[in-house]
Amino acid sequence: MKRKSFIKKAGAAAAGSIILPYILPSGRLFAATPDPKSEYVVYILFAGGVRQQESVLQGYLHTSQDLDSSFAGNIMPNLMAGAQPTKKIAYGTTSAGGTIGDTPIPKILSNPLVNEGVLFKEVRAVNPGHYGGLNSLLTGNASVAQGLKVRPNFPTIFEYARKHLGLKATETWFIGNTIANSYNLLNGSTHPDYGLQYGANFFAPTVTFGSQGRDVLANAKVYHPQEELAPMYKMKNFLDNVFRVKQGEIPSIKNTDEDKNRIKDFVRNTFIKQSAGQIPAPPVTDNGDLVTLSYAAEVLKEFKPKILVVNMTAVDACHGSFSSYLRALHRADHGVGWLWNYIQTQIPEMSGKTTIMLSPECGRNMNPNPIKDENDWLGYDHSDSNTSRVFTMMAGAAMGSTRGTYAENWDINNPGAFTTDNVLTIADIMGFKNMIPSGFVDGNAKSLFDRI
Amino acid sequence: MNMQTLNKLLLLSFLVLALGSCKKEKSVKYEVINQTATDISLNKNKAKNEAQFISILYANLFQNALPINKLIATQNVIQSVGDRSLVYEIILSNYMNTPGTVIPTDETMRADLDKFIIDTYKRFYLRIPSELEKSFFRNYISADPKIKPELVYIAFAASDEYLFY
Repeated sequence: MKRKSFIKKAGAAAAGSIILPYILPSGRLFAATPDPKSEYVVYILFAGGVRQQESVLQGYLHTSQDLDSSFAGNIMPNLMAGAQPTKKIAYGTTSAGGTIGDTPIPKILSNPLVNEGVLFKEVRAVNPGHYGGLNSLLTGNASVAQGLKVRPNFPTIFEYARKHLGLKATETWFIGNTIANSYNLLNGSTHPDYGLQYGANFFAPTVTFGSQGRDVLANAKVYHPQEELAPMYKMKNFLDNVFRVKQGEIPSIKNTDEDKNRIKDFVRNTFIKQSAGQIPAPPVTDNGDLVTLSYAAEVLKEFKPKILVVNMTAVDACHGSFSSYLRALHRADHGVGWLWNYIQTQIPEMSGKTTIMLSPECGRNMNPNPIKDENDWLGYDHSDSNTSRVFTMMAGAAMGSTRGTYAENWDINNPGAFTTDNVLTIADIMGFKNMIPSGFVDGNAKSLFDRI
Repeated sequence: MNMQTLNKLLLLSFLVLALGSCKKEKSVKYEVINQTATDISLNKNKAKNEAQFISILYANLFQNALPINKLIATQNVIQSVGDRSLVYEIILSNYMNTPGTVIPTDETMRADLDKFIIDTYKRFYLRIPSELEKSFFRNYISADPKIKPELVYIAFAASDEYLFY
């Protein structure tokens, strides 16, 4: 071989060996996938419309019920740093003979989560409604044309992760606290390039493992995996293949037969543990959000999913009862603190390798509605510009040594960050940000790591 | 023309018209032509909703209607699980653990396998199986004595075709 020809061929081979690994089966050339910043992400949709004044600004009754500044304080001690209120305590548990909520729930995290990561203090919620807001948190799209009672129009974070990282369905989970308000449709979109075949597994534990679930699911017959289930699946697969020839592919999240058996075992064992009182739970578990978090911990322990999303909604009581809202917000903080502690202490495979992220889907109004609760406190809806004010918190493995509070000088016309940032941020953490097609997420959205 | 003549003419006209309108009734005999009500291939392109699926399944297995309170609870539980086929399989295995299911015995199935296969297709799919389908099940069930009618029923009830009508 001539020297010139040798150099030419060797150069071509070297170039090919560099380029070929990044050509996906679709034929598209992508940038190389960077190393993930963290192996696991737990993403909390927090928690049904949280007013900035009672959360980040720690105003308590001072900024909500027109009382003086001595009534301010932090009712989220596991997430935020700051002294708790000292007057008119109504957000905790009720002591014997005391008034409702007079005892704050003891902190679980000795060091608030904010000290283990970053707080984006002023973030713009792009959609003032619950379903639209949750859509934007999960799709990274403003979801302005999103209808109710239908799956998201744009791909969810689950679909991006499953398609681009090749994850199994059991590696992405969405845990919802209810099946109401179409929340059970948020585990996958209708987008033709992605869709339910890349969607997440979903449980609404208050139903799945509640009294209805116990009636319908707990008495399942146990079949032998090899002698009974394997031939059953062989027959089923034959029937499905025959039907597929005529009908085409049926959209589903596509758990493998093996993973289906694993989930069935999980469901059966969960009912057994439930009967024996062995489901781990936060010290206070007196609302649906906290029950949901306890089952989310079970899912984490069993499946160790790469991405787990939990939705909470109890604070939405704020429309009609400000006191209930305060109690729910304090419990949401308690539950998240417990879950984070559980991951670090009870799931060694995830401890130190997990990043937690949380944002409310929307805020609440500046001015109250006329509805008074048992304490004569006024409720708040979500429709004015104050509804756009929320926060985002990240802590854990991906943060490395990064700490701090960002976007403090936010202006409503010049927001420091957006709720639509979260999808790109998680994609950044998991190492597939560059694979999300342009135009799918909001034009303003950026990974929060690019804003730090 | 006097009145009497006019009356006679009218009477005559009436008789002519009345006689002309009478016709002998034809004898028509209707018969029934036998038609096949089942087919190898039905065009099933509408997905059953949860209520339809669970009502039909329950009636199929228990030969009885599902009480409304159980129907609502089951619908809610189905919606609380992301993988529909998975939750249907768990519900099925619950039904199989509940007394009252109407399922042929293993002896009945193996005594006349072709009949069992055709009956199962009609019961779940409302159609008769193709030769390929009959052949698959005949060979598969014959080759494995551990396959019980219950497993065949679960495979059919959990299959994609059973989700459509």
